[in-house]
Amino acid sequence: MNKIWLVARMTYRRRIRSGTFLILTFGLPLLMVIAGAIPFLRNAGDSLPSVGYVDQTGQLAPIEQVPVEDRTLHLTAYPDVDAARKGVEQGQVTAYMVIPEGYFSEDVPVFYAEEEPSAMLEEGLTAFLRRALLPKADDSQLERLANPTDLTYVALASGDRVAEGVGLVVRFGTPSALAIVFLLTVFTGAGQMGTAVVLEKDQRAMEMVITSLAPVELVSGKILGMTLLSLTQVGIWLVGAAIAVGLALSGLTYEQAVVIPWSALLWAVLLGVPGYFLYATLAAGLGIIAGDRQQARQMAGGLGLVGMSPVYVIGQLVEAPNGPLAVGLTLFPLTAPYVALTRMALTDVPIWQLAIGVGLIIVLLIASIWSVARIFRAAMLMVGQALNPREILRALREA
Amino acid sequence: MTPTGTNKALEIQGISKRYGDLQAVKDLSFTVNAGEILGLLGPNGAGKTTTIRMILDIIKPNGGQVSILGGPMTEEKKSRIGYLPEERGLYEDMTVLDTLLFMGQLKGLSRQIARERAEVYLREVELWDARDLKVEALSQGMNQKVQFVAGTMHEPDLIIIDEPFSGLDPINTRLIKNLLYRMRDRGAAIIMSTHQMHRVEEMCGRILLIDHGQQVLYGRLGEIRERFMHNAIEVDLDGELDQLPGVKKLTPRNGSYRLLLEEGTQPEALLKTLVNMPRVTVQRFERVKTSLEEIFVQVVARENRDGSAGKPVDEWEETAA
Repeated sequence: MNKIWLVARMTYRRRIRSGTFLILTFGLPLLMVIAGAIPFLRNAGDSLPSVGYVDQTGQLAPIEQVPVEDRTLHLTAYPDVDAARKGVEQGQVTAYMVIPEGYFSEDVPVFYAEEEPSAMLEEGLTAFLRRALLPKADDSQLERLANPTDLTYVALASGDRVAEGVGLVVRFGTPSALAIVFLLTVFTGAGQMGTAVVLEKDQRAMEMVITSLAPVELVSGKILGMTLLSLTQVGIWLVGAAIAVGLALSGLTYEQAVVIPWSALLWAVLLGVPGYFLYATLAAGLGIIAGDRQQARQMAGGLGLVGMSPVYVIGQLVEAPNGPLAVGLTLFPLTAPYVALTRMALTDVPIWQLAIGVGLIIVLLIASIWSVARIFRAAMLMVGQALNPREILRALREA
Repeated sequence: MTPTGTNKALEIQGISKRYGDLQAVKDLSFTVNAGEILGLLGPNGAGKTTTIRMILDIIKPNGGQVSILGGPMTEEKKSRIGYLPEERGLYEDMTVLDTLLFMGQLKGLSRQIARERAEVYLREVELWDARDLKVEALSQGMNQKVQFVAGTMHEPDLIIIDEPFSGLDPINTRLIKNLLYRMRDRGAAIIMSTHQMHRVEEMCGRILLIDHGQQVLYGRLGEIRERFMHNAIEVDLDGELDQLPGVKKLTPRNGSYRLLLEEGTQPEALLKTLVNMPRVTVQRFERVKTSLEEIFVQVVARENRDGSAGKPVDEWEETAA
């Protein structure tokens, strides 16, 4: 175990400093954070213009200002459209809104301005109309009027409480997001693993290293190191995603209602970690068989396509999340993590299916490490040369 | 000394290896003792690397037995073996010191001891100042020395080195040579595979010459050279020589003569004849020694021709004259 750990640590330390890893690892969350922060930043930069309005219904209460978050929207009432337009021309207001006579039937207000109103200004105009419609209501009543049904859904069978809105999105979106993260990790990790093994052969350090430890120790250490590296990468991505989501939600009032789906997170770890190990092991095996980096990348790409295969039948999975196809793919080790997590977003997946899925992944993982170590022994000194099927079979037999 | 109490660090009995139709090694047997340097020689493709890899358990022989440090190879024994392969390679993106710490720990040293040894050996090969350089920044000679240290810093009982001096200047060659002598004197058994025959003559007590995967010469270097000693004399003298009794062939060479004796002619009798010759003064009279390179070339050439290696060379007059 000590030597496995040594190889894992060396692999991890070498790779974590590489430029490709740093760009891929920090570039993606940075983009997510920027994307999440855009609305926040846009609002932060906004100043609210003074707005005029023309009440053609004659039924609205006159309002001079309304609070919008930490700012105030100033309003000026005009008797008609011409006066409002003149107000703009004279610089009294920068825009005006006309509330038509048929506002209480089917007509909608029209906003006249140089540019489209910002989200914050729209919020201010909505607050103004609420206040103008119900001048006697207090602030809490108006707030309640804005969100009269913040439903909390309680599952009759389990008693799980799930809040509406963002809470529901988090509840059902998290397993799907984890499934996608798994696929993304497998795709990038498998490619990195395959090329790492070829690189190891290319650098010709293998012959010295292999006289110090067993092939299975070297292979296991390599896979462990690369897996830890991928987990670091995913961890950074998830932190980035959490910050991005946090920023995106910061202007809303729903966040207290968000419920973390711990069960999905637990199964994501139980399925995802050995599932990733399995892909990394198979990618290492393909890297060993491959003659060069290009071939290794192609083979790893093929493996990634196997991992992606449930995406092609996502329609059937959504339609029948407990159907035979869905159950079969949950039990098949190479598709189990993605399919199980995707199903969790749609239905309650029986625990026995998840447990068997995890068990089969572990069984195939052990068999893969055993086989890859033996193929590795036969191929480790064949620089720039691919292993043919007969040589692979002979390597497995000579175990 | 090995755990069995013998001084045999390595005992090979009849190992063979076949790759498809190619017989890479065939029925090869030899031993290496603690405290000796065995020269492993052979032309390119003779089976040296395959033999080394079988010893190190990198590849499995089809037949025969390898007894290493008193028995079959185990994972524990790998920590008592040092190896410098012919194909050089280190992790280029690692620093020299990190490389040595990794390799030392793989060989069972604690991190602390590995660091101490790395410092001692790097100072010895004059690379301590380069410890924080990445391997990719090293010159060929520096790289070679780092690999040597990586393969031997755990002070193994059996060392296998393939072309240890290639790419080294005379000063660095001397550094590595002295380290090898010190390891031998400490009791390590060393197998040195090289094509530098003068290094073998200088450093090895015994040699094993293989060709086409088979043993063609094996034994003490002095005895082998004695076996291949030509019945020839080299003399420096003032005067002219024409014909001499008991001499088959007389070849002038830059002021000296090389004399190939007839069967039964004693060098002492020839010396007496020369001394008694009028107008001739003998300044040097020496039996011609056969260099290892000559032996190598002739044995391998004949092996390729008719498979009769191991016998004294009798066509010397054709090749050496």
